[in-house]
Formats: sequence, structure tokens, C-alpha cells
Amino acid sequence: MSTIAETASRAPTRRRMRVDGWRWAGRIFLVFMLLYTALPMIWMLITSIKSGFAATQFPPQWWPDEPTLASYQKLLDPQNSVGQDFLRFFWNSLFVSTVTTILSVIVAVPAAYAFSRFSFPGRNFLFFAVLLRNMFPAVIFLVPLFILMRAIGLVNTHGSLILTYLTFGLPLAIWLLKGFYDNIPVQLEQAARIDGATRFQAFIMIVMPLSTPGIIATAIYSFIGAWNEYIYAYTFLSKNEQLTLPVGIQRFFSENTTDFPGLMAASFMMSVPVVVLFLVLQRYFVRALTEGAVKH
Amino acid sequence: MAHVVLQDLVKSYGGFKAVNHVSLTVNDGEFVALVGPSGCGKTTTLNLVAGLTPITSGDIIIGERVVNDLDPKDRDIAMVFQNYALYPQKSVYKNLAFPLQMRKLPRDEIDKKVKEAARVLDMTHLLERKPRELSGGQQQRVALGRALVRDPAVFLMDEPLSNLDAKLRVQMRSEIKRFHQDLKATIIYVTHDQLEAVTMADKMAVMNGGYLQQYDSPAQVFAHPVNMFVASFIGSPAMSLIPLEASTANGNTVLTGAEGWRLELSPRNAQKVVRATTMKVVLGARHSTIKLHKSAVPGSIPAKAYTVEPTGDVTFVQAFLSGAIVNVSVPPNIAVSPDEQIWLEFDQERMHLFDGETEMALKAN
Ligand SMILES: Nc1ncnc2c1ncn2[C@@H]1O[C@H](COP(=O)(O)OP(=O)(O)OP(=O)(O)O)[C@@H](O)[C@H]1O
Ligand SMILES: [Mg+2]
Repeated sequence: MSTIAETASRAPTRRRMRVDGWRWAGRIFLVFMLLYTALPMIWMLITSIKSGFAATQFPPQWWPDEPTLASYQKLLDPQNSVGQDFLRFFWNSLFVSTVTTILSVIVAVPAAYAFSRFSFPGRNFLFFAVLLRNMFPAVIFLVPLFILMRAIGLVNTHGSLILTYLTFGLPLAIWLLKGFYDNIPVQLEQAARIDGATRFQAFIMIVMPLSTPGIIATAIYSFIGAWNEYIYAYTFLSKNEQLTLPVGIQRFFSENTTDFPGLMAASFMMSVPVVVLFLVLQRYFVRALTEGAVKH
Repeated sequence: MAHVVLQDLVKSYGGFKAVNHVSLTVNDGEFVALVGPSGCGKTTTLNLVAGLTPITSGDIIIGERVVNDLDPKDRDIAMVFQNYALYPQKSVYKNLAFPLQMRKLPRDEIDKKVKEAARVLDMTHLLERKPRELSGGQQQRVALGRALVRDPAVFLMDEPLSNLDAKLRVQMRSEIKRFHQDLKATIIYVTHDQLEAVTMADKMAVMNGGYLQQYDSPAQVFAHPVNMFVASFIGSPAMSLIPLEASTANGNTVLTGAEGWRLELSPRNAQKVVRATTMKVVLGARHSTIKLHKSAVPGSIPAKAYTVEPTGDVTFVQAFLSGAIVNVSVPPNIAVSPDEQIWLEFDQERMHLFDGETEMALKAN
């Protein structure tokens, strides 16, 4: 963008047309992307408020004749067996994702800080070893991790998932946060230590508040990763009452194939926490990605 | 307030010694400037005194305590950083209050001290601002204020004025000097601007390559540089250093230039040359101690003017002698043109002689 702006300012009249051309191309592209991502969501929402019969009609009703929240009521009703299952899956997912997020922040913050501030033997090697894990597709580790989990008796527990998600999420979390700490001048901590803080206090009182955006970004990243994960949850868990949402929804509706509104309502509710989280914290997320990655 | 003693201080990074066996004593209430070219170890020395970097060997004494293993917070020091290091998320008020909060002072006392410091530094109206909403000069004041709300045993300042424009720098210079006089504070002040050091400090410590070269009052350092490095580093424009060949003929000591001219030395200067380890001697002369003549006078040396720089007050004339540039100042009413033949007369009383091998100043006795 900046190069376009610079060339434009050098030859204002002749380049004006081209800038506008690019801008329009960009706009059209963005509109296309918006439709591409938003339409399925909208269709999901519309279907979720149809009756079971209306959902399977062809040609489809663009807007349901009789919109109904019945599917939502059913899913959120703890008296009903469908509702019981859904709420349990939801709770399981929330539990696994939250614990993963908390643990990953607890580990990533000091790890990233150490990588950024201290020089110790093997520092570079360790840092790249941490990233190495992310160079392989996740499925490669499915079988080895399953064998490992069985050996330590964690199969069919949420612990197995939390551990696995941490191994996926942590490297990137550490890398993201390290970029953030690199950009906080070490003199700030030094000033705090001279002003009377211990090294730990300087970290907590000065560095932590400055790295909040980075920590929030890390947390969102871990949460979303854990919340949406399917293949490990599908492999490691078999008991119905332990399933997380992605697996639970998939399994539940392969038994009730025709209930499209129910499926859509469940899917919609599954995306709510992520969307809300993202909307509330996106300010920080964007700042973290730009500030952490770019050296001033 | 307290005195500070560095004893045989060493800081190594791997095999590289950033600070090399530095010993010096800063007396109670003294303003000491640490000067030297970039990378000579000034900041490292200051960080060692502050306790931000662990020392490799040697001792640091502040007051009556050896502080080698004390945390920065226990050394009773305040520091002003080169880039100010204001806490960006805190308001000016909270920046100033932070050192007092950390020392668990009662809230009303903190408030009193912060307001007092703000009044002294004329920034009462800025207290609610964040650092990024301040100009460079204002940030500098806040950094200074954060150091002086407490009254520590020693103030450490690392090039606090280097980010300011020339005018503001002069103004802040006098403010810091004033502050030193009022508080009788012990201050170690790092700068690579020798003018700052000369104008502010009681003593200056000249460093180069991790070594302490000379530690004395600015006047002494200026008048009696111990070696060629100090001679060329202190003073502006730099002292001219002319490599020459010494010889003795029928009782007289003579310096010979590459062009073949000869300069007969006074008895006192001859005494100095006798102490040189080789016959190579370097003559040092400041621009103001060289007289420029338009015609030959006894004892003067012929040269050709190379460049002429009128500055208003004085005109600087440069000439080549023995392969070195010689800087001479003349009153502006004397017109010299480039390539004009001139004669230079050195003041024997105020010239410096250095050993061409060791680069040390030669002394008469
Ligand atoms: N952490 C470090 N690791 C290795 N070498 C270092 C480290 N810190 C400083 N040095 C080296 O020590 C030397 C002195 O550095 P120092 O920062 O004290 O210089 P300085 O005199 O303050 O220079 P300047 O005027 O540019 O600030 C430099 O050569 C520098 O490269
Ligand atoms: Mg420095």
C-alpha cells in the first residue's frame, strides 16, 4: 500500500487512474471474500430458524414462512435428552479450551520472556526446536500421541486433549509473545529495578501491562485452536459424556440425519463464543500481530 | 549523598573486555563526567555501578558499602536513561510516584514530593499526560524528575541530553548544573559530547577502548593530556598532532619535519624529548597556541594554507605539515587565501610533546 501511495505522490495526475483501479479491484475482492465467508453463516442462521420440513424443501425458502426458535429451545433445554447432550458437549469444550488457554498463557509468558531477555546456552537451538513442531501437519502425530496417551493412561480423559492442544498451540504462542517482548525496551525494566522493584516485580508491574495485547492474542489463538479441534478429540475420546462440541455435533447428527435446523442451530451456537471473543478483543489481536511482528 | 569508588573494575563479554581495570573515586557531592567515543564502555560502566550488569571482577563501593552483589533497588541510586525509559502506560504523575510507591511511602507524602518535583521542573500542568503526549524536552524533564523525587546517594545519568536539539540541550545543561549545585548531589554523568563534560563537570574521566585514560578536572585534562588520545579527544577543533624526528646536535635538541624544516626546542622541551623511548616524537599544538605569519620570522616554519574557514569570531586555517593537518586560528581581519605561503610559529611554553611509540605525553621530570 505504501509504495502505491508513494508513487502516486510523485506523479500525481498520471498515476491517479491506476490507484483508483487498484482500489476498486481491492474493494471488489473484499466484497467477494465477505460473501464467501458470510453467506454460509447467514444460510446456517436462516436454516436454524426453519422447521424441519421447511429446511428440506426445494426450491428453498429464502426466508422461512414460519420462523421458529424451536431448535434452540430443544438444544438448550436440560430436561430433554438432546439438550442434555448438547449442553454437556458445550461444557466439555468450554472446559478443555479454557484450561488449554490458561495453561498455554502460563507457560508461554515466562518462556517467551526468557527467550527474549536472557542469553543461555542453547537458546537459539531451543527456540527453533520449539518451532520445528509446527512444520509438520498435525495428523502425523495422531498415532504416536495416541500410543503415548494410552501408555500414560490418559486416553478417554480431557487431560489427553489439553496436553495435545498445548503441544500445538504453545510454539506459536511463544513465538508471538517473544516478538512482543523484543519490542519492549529493556531499559523500562532496568528503570523499574532502580526505582525499587525486584526483577519479578518489574516484570509484573511494568512489562506485563505492556504486553497485555500480546497475551490476549495468544489466549484467543489457543482458545480458538482448542475449541475447533476435531480429529484428536474424535480419536482420543470415545465415551459420549466426554465428547467436545465438534465431535459431539457430528456424532449426534449422524444419528439424526434429517434434523437440519437442529444441526444448524448447534453449529451457530458453537461459533458464538469464538465470534464474541474475537469481536471484543480484536483490537488487541490486530495490534499484537502488527506490533509483535514488525520491528520499529 | 555518598562517594563512589570503582576498584579495578572489569566487565568481560566472552573474551572481550568492555571495561578494563577501571579504578576511580568520585567524592561526595562531586559531578563526574564519563566521556569517550562510542563503544568505549561508558554505558557498561554506569550499568555496573547501577547493578544492572553483573561485574566480572573488581569492587564497587557506594558510601561505606561494597555493593558488588546488591540488587539495583538496594544500592540507593537513581538513574536517567539515554532513551528516558518512562513507563509508557503510566501518567507523568504515576511515573514520578512509582519510585516512592516502591519504597512504601505514605500516600500523602508521595503526593507532596511528586508535586514538589513537578513544581521545580515546571511541569505541574503535565502531570496527567502520558509520556507519548510529551515533547522530547518534556520527557527528559520527567526522566530527571523521576530521579530526583527520591533523594538517592548517587545520581547516574546516561547521555540524558543526547536526544534534544541544540538549544534545548544548552538550557537543560544549565538546569542540571543548577540542580547539582542546589542539592550537592553526587553525579556520574555519561556523555560523548566533550563540551558538555567540560562545562558541567568537576572532574572528567576520559575512556577509550574500555580503559580509563585520564581522570582529572576539565582544566587539567585540557592543559595536560596524558596521551595522544586524550589530547585529540578533548578540545574543539582537535589538537593538531604532527609526527617529527628528534635529533641532538652540538647541545641543541631539534625536531625535523618531513619537509626538512627544523625546529629548535627550548631547554625545558629538550628535557622532555630526552625521555622519549624513540627518536620519533609527536608535537601537539592547539589552534590558539600557533601564530600565523605572512613572512618568515625566526623560529617559524614555512607551510602552505590548504583551506580557510571563516566562522565569524575567528578564521580557521588548515595547513599540511609533515603529513598532518595543522589547525590555526587567526583573527577575522587577517585575510589568508588557500595555497598562500604562510609561516607558523609554535608557542614553546604551551606545546605538547608525545612519545611517538607509546603515545604518552613526555614530561620534563
Ligand atoms: N551485552 C553485551 N554483549 C556483548 N558486548 C557488549 C554488550 N554490551 C555492550 N557490549 C560491548 O561493550 C562495548 C562498550 O559498550 P557501551 O554500551 O558501554 O559503549 P558506550 O561507551 O556507552 O557507547 P555509546 O556512546 O555508543 O553509548 C561495546 O563495544 C559493545 O559492543
Ligand atoms: Mg552508551
